[in-house]
Amino acid sequence: MHDLTDWRLAALTFMVTGYALGALLPALIGIMGRALVKSVVTLDSTIKNLGFTIALASSLAGCVLSLSVLLSGEPLYVEIQPSLPFGAMALHADMLSAFFLGVISLIAAAVSFYSLGYATGFLRRRNMALLVFLYNAFLLSMTGVVLSAHAFLFLFFWEAMSLSTYFLINYEHEDPAARRAGYLYVVMTHLGTALLVVMFVLLFSRTGSFSFGAFRDPGSRLPAVVQSVIFLCATIGFGVKAGIIPLHIWLPEAHPAAPSNISALMSGVMLKMGIYGMVRVYFDFLGPDIPEWWGILILIVAVTSSVLGVLYALTEHDLKRLLAFHSIENIGIILMGIGGALLFASLGNRPLASLALLAGLYHVLNHATFKGLLFLGAGSVLHATHTRNIEELGGLIKKMPWTAFFFLIGAVAISALPPLNGFVSEWLTFQALLLGFHISDLTVRIAIPLTVALLALTGALAAACFVKAFGITFLGLPRSDHAEGAHESSFSMIAAMGSLAVLCVVFGVAPSLVVSVLDPLVSSLPGVHASGQVLLGGGMMLIPQSDASSISPLALGGLLVAATLFPVAAGYLFGGRVRKRVVMTWGCGLEKIGPRMQYTATGFSKPIRMIFSNIYRATHEIEISEETSPYFRPNITYELRTESVFLKYLYEPAYHVIIGSARMVRRIQTGHIQTYLAYIFLTLVLLLLFAR
Amino acid sequence: MDSTNLQTVGLLIDIFAAAILVTAFLVVSSRSLVFYIRLFALQSFFLGIVAFLVVLGYGETHILIAAVLTIAVKAIAIPFVLSRVIDRINVHKEVDFSINITVSLLLCGGMVILADSVAHSILDAQRADAPAVSRVLSVSIAMMLIGLFIMTTRKKAITQIVGLLTMENGVFLSGLSITYGMPLIVEVGIFFDILVAVLILGVFIFRINKTFESISIDSLRSLRE
Repeated sequence: MHDLTDWRLAALTFMVTGYALGALLPALIGIMGRALVKSVVTLDSTIKNLGFTIALASSLAGCVLSLSVLLSGEPLYVEIQPSLPFGAMALHADMLSAFFLGVISLIAAAVSFYSLGYATGFLRRRNMALLVFLYNAFLLSMTGVVLSAHAFLFLFFWEAMSLSTYFLINYEHEDPAARRAGYLYVVMTHLGTALLVVMFVLLFSRTGSFSFGAFRDPGSRLPAVVQSVIFLCATIGFGVKAGIIPLHIWLPEAHPAAPSNISALMSGVMLKMGIYGMVRVYFDFLGPDIPEWWGILILIVAVTSSVLGVLYALTEHDLKRLLAFHSIENIGIILMGIGGALLFASLGNRPLASLALLAGLYHVLNHATFKGLLFLGAGSVLHATHTRNIEELGGLIKKMPWTAFFFLIGAVAISALPPLNGFVSEWLTFQALLLGFHISDLTVRIAIPLTVALLALTGALAAACFVKAFGITFLGLPRSDHAEGAHESSFSMIAAMGSLAVLCVVFGVAPSLVVSVLDPLVSSLPGVHASGQVLLGGGMMLIPQSDASSISPLALGGLLVAATLFPVAAGYLFGGRVRKRVVMTWGCGLEKIGPRMQYTATGFSKPIRMIFSNIYRATHEIEISEETSPYFRPNITYELRTESVFLKYLYEPAYHVIIGSARMVRRIQTGHIQTYLAYIFLTLVLLLLFAR
Repeated sequence: MDSTNLQTVGLLIDIFAAAILVTAFLVVSSRSLVFYIRLFALQSFFLGIVAFLVVLGYGETHILIAAVLTIAVKAIAIPFVLSRVIDRINVHKEVDFSINITVSLLLCGGMVILADSVAHSILDAQRADAPAVSRVLSVSIAMMLIGLFIMTTRKKAITQIVGLLTMENGVFLSGLSITYGMPLIVEVGIFFDILVAVLILGVFIFRINKTFESISIDSLRSLRE
C-alpha cells in the first residue's frame, strides 16, 4: 500500500500548501500590485479570483484525502521534522479526523466557489487582499485543527482559527456592532482556550507526552477525578466554540457580523470543530471508562441548547441571527447523539452507544450542508437587498427564484422533513434514544423520554420558524424598496447553493452512503468500540439494530413526490376544464392589498411567544403619538424586546464580580515605584524565610 | 599553591568581603549623593580585588578580565558618569526617606542575618570542605537584599541607580563565590548592560529633572493611567 500513502501525502501537501499560498500570494499581490497596477478594481478582482480558486482547489484536494482515508480505513500519519519536545510533532488523519476534514472540505469547496461571485460585492469598497488572506488562513487553521496529532500543534491551529475568525468578524469594522461582536467572541473563545490548555496539561501530567497517541494509550488512564476534570474542561472549552447554551452568547452576535460566506463557514464548519474536540476527547482519550453523569450532563446541555436555541430563533427578524440561533439548536441535536452515546457507553451498551454517536456525527455532516446552504442563501438575499431584516423583505421568490428554491430545500432539510438529510439524522437520533427504553437503569428511564420529547418539540418549532423565515422573506409582496429592487445572484453563487442542495438530497435519500462510512469510524473509537449494527437493507433501507423499526428515505421521498403529483395528475385527467385566475398572493378575495396588510414576522411568531412567555420575558411598548384626534393616529410605534435570561442572570453577575475584583486588585497598583519594589522585596524576603 | 597561602587568600577574601558589606551599610547610613557614588566606587574596587584574589588563590584566570573590567567600569567609569550627572542637576542630598536611617540600619542588620542563614542552608546542601570564597555567598545575598532595600526606601533617582548597582555587585559576588565567576561572555555582557543602563538612566534623570523640576521619582506617579 506504499503507493497509496505517497499519493495521499501528495494530496495533503497540495491542500496545506494550497491554503498557505492562497493566503499569502493574494496578500503579496495586494501589497506589491498597488504600485504597479493603476486600476484597483482590476487588481482586486484578480486577487479575488486567484485566492478563491486556490481555496477551491485545495478544498477539493481535502475532499480527496478525506475520502481516501474513509474508504480505505487506513489512517495517515505524518511526522514533522524538527519535532517538538514532549512527543512527536505530527499530523494524522484517522477516521475521525478524515470525516471532519471531509466536512470542512466539502463546505469549503462550495463556499469558495460561492465567494467568487459574492465577493464582487466588496470590490471598490473593502480590502480584498485582506479578505482572501483571512479566508484561506481560516480554512488552513481548521484543517490544521482536525489533522493535528500533537497538543501544541492543535492549540496553535485552534488559536489561529480563533484569531482569523476574529478579524473576519471585524471585516466590516466601521459597524460598532461588528466590533462589539468581535470583542465578545475573542473573550469567550479565549476563555475556552484557557480551559483547553488546562485539559492538555492534565493529560500531559500522566503521560509525559503531548502527542495524541500517548493520550490514547490505555496504559495511561488517569484517576477518575482527574478524568472528570478533563471532561469538564473539554466540555466548556470546546462548548464555547460549539456554541452550547449557556456559552452561546457570542454566536448570535458574531455570525451576522461576518460576511455571509464566512458565516456559512463559521456556522457550518467552525462550530463542528468544537464537536470534533469533544468526540476526540470523550471517546478517544477518556474512553472507555465513562461515568454515568457525563452523559446526563451532555444530554441536559443538549436539550437546553436545542430547545432554547430554536425558541430564540423564532423571535428573530434578522435573517442571519435567526440562522445563528438555529446553529445552537442543531449543535444541541448533535450533542443529544453524543450525550446518548456517553450514557449508553457508561452502562456498557456499546452497540447502542455506537448508534447514538453515529447519529450525532451524521447530523454534523447534515447540519454543515444545510446550514451552509441557508447561510449562502441569506448571503444572496443580503447581497441583493442590502438588508437582513426579514420584516423589510418579501416577494423575493419572483425576483430570485433559484435562491428561493435552494433556500427552501435548506429550510425543509433543517426542519427535518423527509426525504432530506436533516430527517435521516434526527430519525437516527430518535431511534438510538428510543432503543434506550430497553435499559432498566432508572436515570436512563427518566432522561431518555424527556430528551426524546424535547427533541420532538425542537423539530416542530424549527419547522414553524422556517415557515416564518421562508414565508416572510420569499413569499407575499415586497415590504420595502430593498426587496423591490432585488435581483437574482450571479452564476457562481447559484451553482454553489445548488451543489449544497444536491448534497442535502443525496445524504437524505441515500443514507447508506454515509452510514457505511460512519459505522467503521465509530467502531474504531476506543470509547465505543462496537458497530452500531445498522443494517442497510438493499443499500437504501436503514434498520438500526434488527429489532427496531426500519425506514427507507428513498421510498418515503418517492411516496411524497407521488402523493404530490397524484392529485395534480388526477385533476388534469378527470377534473374537466381548468379555469385560471391570476390574483394577488394571499389576497383573500380583496382587490387592493398592500404590503403593509401582510402577516409580519412578529405577528407570525406571536402565538409561540405567548406560550413560552416565561422563557422570553418579553416587554413591549406601544407608543402612539396623539397629535390630531384619537381616531386618526398618525404614528404608532410598537417595540418588542425579549430578554436573555443567561445574559441577565449568568453573565451580568459574572461581569460585575470580575470588574469588582479587578477594582480591588487595582488598589495595590499605587503607581509608586517604591511600592512595587517593596512588593518584590517583601516577596523575596518571605520566600527566603519560609520557602527554603 | 600550598595550603598556608590558600588560607591567607581565604582570609583576605573574607576581609574584603566584609569591607564590601560595610560600604553597603555606609550607603544606607548616609544622606549625601556624592558620598553614595564614592562609596559605590570603593565597593566596586573591593569587589575587583576579591576577583583578583580568586584568580590568585584558585587559578581561575578567566576571572582576570572580569576583575579588570569591574574596576574599570564600576569603580571608574560609572562613578564618573554619575558624578557629572549630580553636578549638572545640582542636587546633593537625599532627603526623602520612607524609613529613617536608624530603623533602616537595623533592618539591614536583620537582612544580613537572613542572608547568612540562607547561604548556610545552600552551602550545607553542597559540601563541607567548600573553599573560603564560598563563605562570601552570605555577603552577596545580603548585598542583593540591601540594594533592593535602598531602591525601595529612597526616592531620589540617583539613589535608585546606586541601589540597582549594589544589587548587581551582589550578583557578581555570588557568581564568584559559588562557581568562581560566570562564563566570561556572560560577565562581559552584564558589564555592558550595566554601563549602558547607567548612561540611559543618567539621561533619564536629566529629563525627569527638566520635566518635573525634581528628581524625586514620586513625581512619576502622575504618569499613572
